[in-house]
Amino acid sequence: MNESTQDVLVLVDGDAAVAGPVAVARAAAAPGAAVVAVVAGARAVADAVAASGVDRVLWLGEPGDGVPVEALAGAVAEVVAGAAPRLVVATTRDGGRALAGAVAARCGAPVLTGATDVSATADAVEVRRDVHGGIAVRTERVTGGPAVVTVAPGGVAAPAAPVAVEEVAAPGPAAAVRVREERASGRASVDLGGARVVVGIGRGLKAREDLALVERLAAALGAEVACSRPLAEGHDWLTKDRYIGISGQHVAPDLYVAAGISGQVQHMVGVAGAKVVVAINSDADAPVFAQCDHGVVGDLYTVLPALAAALEA
Amino acid sequence: MKIVVACKWAPNPQDAEVRPDGTVDWSRSKSAVSEHDPVAFEVARRLADATGGEVVALSVGPAASDTPLARKAMLSRGADRLVLVADDALAGLGSTAVAAVLSAAVRAVGDVDVVLTGPESVDNGDRQVPMTLAGHLGWPGLGAVGDVQAADGGLVVERATDRGVQVLDVTGPAVLAVAADAVVPRVPGMKDILGAAKKPTDVLALAGLDVPAPVAAAEVVGTARPAPSARGRHVITTADPAAAAAELVDALRAAGAL
Repeated sequence: MNESTQDVLVLVDGDAAVAGPVAVARAAAAPGAAVVAVVAGARAVADAVAASGVDRVLWLGEPGDGVPVEALAGAVAEVVAGAAPRLVVATTRDGGRALAGAVAARCGAPVLTGATDVSATADAVEVRRDVHGGIAVRTERVTGGPAVVTVAPGGVAAPAAPVAVEEVAAPGPAAAVRVREERASGRASVDLGGARVVVGIGRGLKAREDLALVERLAAALGAEVACSRPLAEGHDWLTKDRYIGISGQHVAPDLYVAAGISGQVQHMVGVAGAKVVVAINSDADAPVFAQCDHGVVGDLYTVLPALAAALEA
Repeated sequence: MKIVVACKWAPNPQDAEVRPDGTVDWSRSKSAVSEHDPVAFEVARRLADATGGEVVALSVGPAASDTPLARKAMLSRGADRLVLVADDALAGLGSTAVAAVLSAAVRAVGDVDVVLTGPESVDNGDRQVPMTLAGHLGWPGLGAVGDVQAADGGLVVERATDRGVQVLDVTGPAVLAVAADAVVPRVPGMKDILGAAKKPTDVLALAGLDVPAPVAAAEVVGTARPAPSARGRHVITTADPAAAAAELVDALRAAGAL
């Protein structure tokens, strides 16, 4: 393979929702350097990525039935090592981390997770990110070899003129892991990255059936419903793709309503890009009130219906 | 079945102080077994009991991470024995380098069938070490694992996806990062803590391990505190929910947010 080392690689972990990594790669790519997607996944994913603003698509071929993206991590690492890039961008999804880990091990590269700003010069890559759960911000400079960064996936990028999908020679999938069965949760998945308004719910919600309160407000606002980590992982009331936070989704809607969310930094870094933040919390001392544009001190069980009614009027 | 639980003796950032220059003062933050590691121990113990297997706790860190308290804490959660690599050369390492040391230690333990980890370490929270460890070992790595059962010649693993649950057949060794809510871990009782003192600990010398060398170096060139919120903080304390809602809607309309 003849990739210039100036090219920036984007790892696609079986899901075409890679607007975040593509944007970071484009911003970091030097003039004249290409943004090259390395796609582990079905042809349909490669085709979708080819129309999402990248310059080239390297596709590892049809993985076959029941092959999870993790079985392709070694093959992706070989393709990346052959290209010898300075910068590789993956998603923070589980599959993205698996690909990033294989590449990092194969190339002896550091992985800088949850990058918020990435720049590349001729001999170094600089990455800014929130560290230690978001209590501090750090800038790291990677020299002497490639840098792997992971960023929130974002949604599917706005359609662009498609480029050709190039099938590359790569090792086949590892035989050691196969999908036996998929069980849908029955709950709707979501592309939060594309939502103009998002209502986030936290531990202030006492019971799963009370999600109806949140859904009514979301309907009145034309919003998608999101949550803090405990509701997606722990309570399991909402799907993982609705979890906003340092290791989950990062969103930048016009309006974010944080209801029953205390405002811990681990959650709030995920909405740093929101234009307007509204907080609703019964605790007047909750940290969220120091990080909102507008707040209502009150019980979400009375404020959410009142707000929905005011919007529906 | 030989099961390794890779765990970390780590401080909690909630108790750390961030200095004005953005560096972190950990002196008031006591280390403990990392927040969700007990979940990995519990999954490991159940799997070992079901298969007549052994649970080996494995931890790598700076010299100060090897204390009697740390040994007891790691050995009181279901492990049969502990393997430590404690060397100041391991202080502050990034995820790829830590995973490289872990991979060398897993190889030194030998004949390992599966490595279980928590979803992330409480101090760094990168969620990357398990997957890079899998890369170093050349084994499959799976995250968000909710259940692990032994099956003929391998494991049946359930993991959460955005759409639901996926059940996978895993043959040969693998690295599995459990979800924080996979199981409810046991709380060590007096018997577990007293028993921990009698369990063996092997300390491996870093110099004796065959650790893959890094190619690229990451150097910290800047630290900062998070930018203070520039938001307006217009907080409505009106007790009547309808009046508060009306005031909020008016404010959002005026701001063009609706």
